[in-house]
Amino acid sequence: MTTVILIVIAVCFFLWSLFKSRKKTKESLKIAKGLMISTAIQIIGVLALVSLFLAVIPPELIKKVMGGANEAVSVLWGSLIGTVTIIPAFIAFPLSKQLMEAGAALTAIAAFLTTLTMVGFATFPIEKEYFGTKFTIYRNLFSFFAAITVAIFMGVIL
Amino acid sequence: MINILKKHKLISVAALAYLVTLIVSPQTFMNALKQNGTFLLEMLEILPPIMVISSLISVWVPNNVIIKGFGNASGIKGKLLSILIGAFSAGPIYAGFPVAKTLYDKGASVGNVVIILSAWAVVKVPMYLVETSFLGAPFANTRYLLTIPLIIILGYVMQKVVKRDDIPVSQLDREINEIVDQLPQRHCGACGYTDCHEFAKAVKNEEARMDECRILSHSSKEA
Repeated sequence: MTTVILIVIAVCFFLWSLFKSRKKTKESLKIAKGLMISTAIQIIGVLALVSLFLAVIPPELIKKVMGGANEAVSVLWGSLIGTVTIIPAFIAFPLSKQLMEAGAALTAIAAFLTTLTMVGFATFPIEKEYFGTKFTIYRNLFSFFAAITVAIFMGVIL
Repeated sequence: MINILKKHKLISVAALAYLVTLIVSPQTFMNALKQNGTFLLEMLEILPPIMVISSLISVWVPNNVIIKGFGNASGIKGKLLSILIGAFSAGPIYAGFPVAKTLYDKGASVGNVVIILSAWAVVKVPMYLVETSFLGAPFANTRYLLTIPLIIILGYVMQKVVKRDDIPVSQLDREINEIVDQLPQRHCGACGYTDCHEFAKAVKNEEARMDECRILSHSSKEA
């Protein structure tokens, strides 16, 4: 659904640009081509590694560590698993529901969902390419703690 | 060969890991490949429009508009605007990097870039609906209400910690600067462009050739 909106916006913007100036449109396509090639190669590498990781680690193991007796440990595991993996969100939510039904702690799920999207161990090399090492390390580190904070407060409120 | 491997470190590591997996456990190898299919499909749908949009922004949107909307002096309005951009975007965070970098290159502040990226990751209108349907409205509402203020604090802290010098210039600028370095930089204008930087841009776009630089071709003839 969002993808459709995104494509529609891109096409409209592109047609508008073509109508206004062919030269500028050509220039933008060259930039897009450059961006596409340099990013795509890296993203394919990242996704391939994450897929392998998910294939090697069985889901049962994830369930076990996120629903342990000690909730603090479960939260830590949840945020760590979220950090090292990238799962498309439309898979992550049904998976979270399954995990919760299988006994994972609510706070662990909250930490998992937030780090999953915000903190990227796997996307580190891509982010570094764009924003440099210092920015990338600090953003991921702070986001990790922000995710744990969210999880703790959720545990208090709900 | 070594150079190619070094340049594409990530994909080389991935290829090696897959080779090892294929030998050790063909079953795991097949599972991983299947997983790859889902990922690649998502990437193929999202990446091309994202790249087109971000490059169109860099060509069309004037820098001062971005500086006014997202720069250091944009205040709370800039922060809210940043959250909105993230909220109405699509795709995982790595799709947000090129867009955020384009805005940054045009003058958006470090803090607002962080807010855009974080909101891109967490605050999503369509994803909110998916989350409520699977995990319930109280769960989703609480998570969103807690996350949004934290994202703004995160932007504020990052703004303090990371300076503009810490962030590299974009790939395109770097390539243009490399060409400029090879030029005499007298900015004579004999090539027909206003200065060496403009000429370098034209060379990069294959609209001009290096030997069109009069000073450069002159000195190479003498040598």
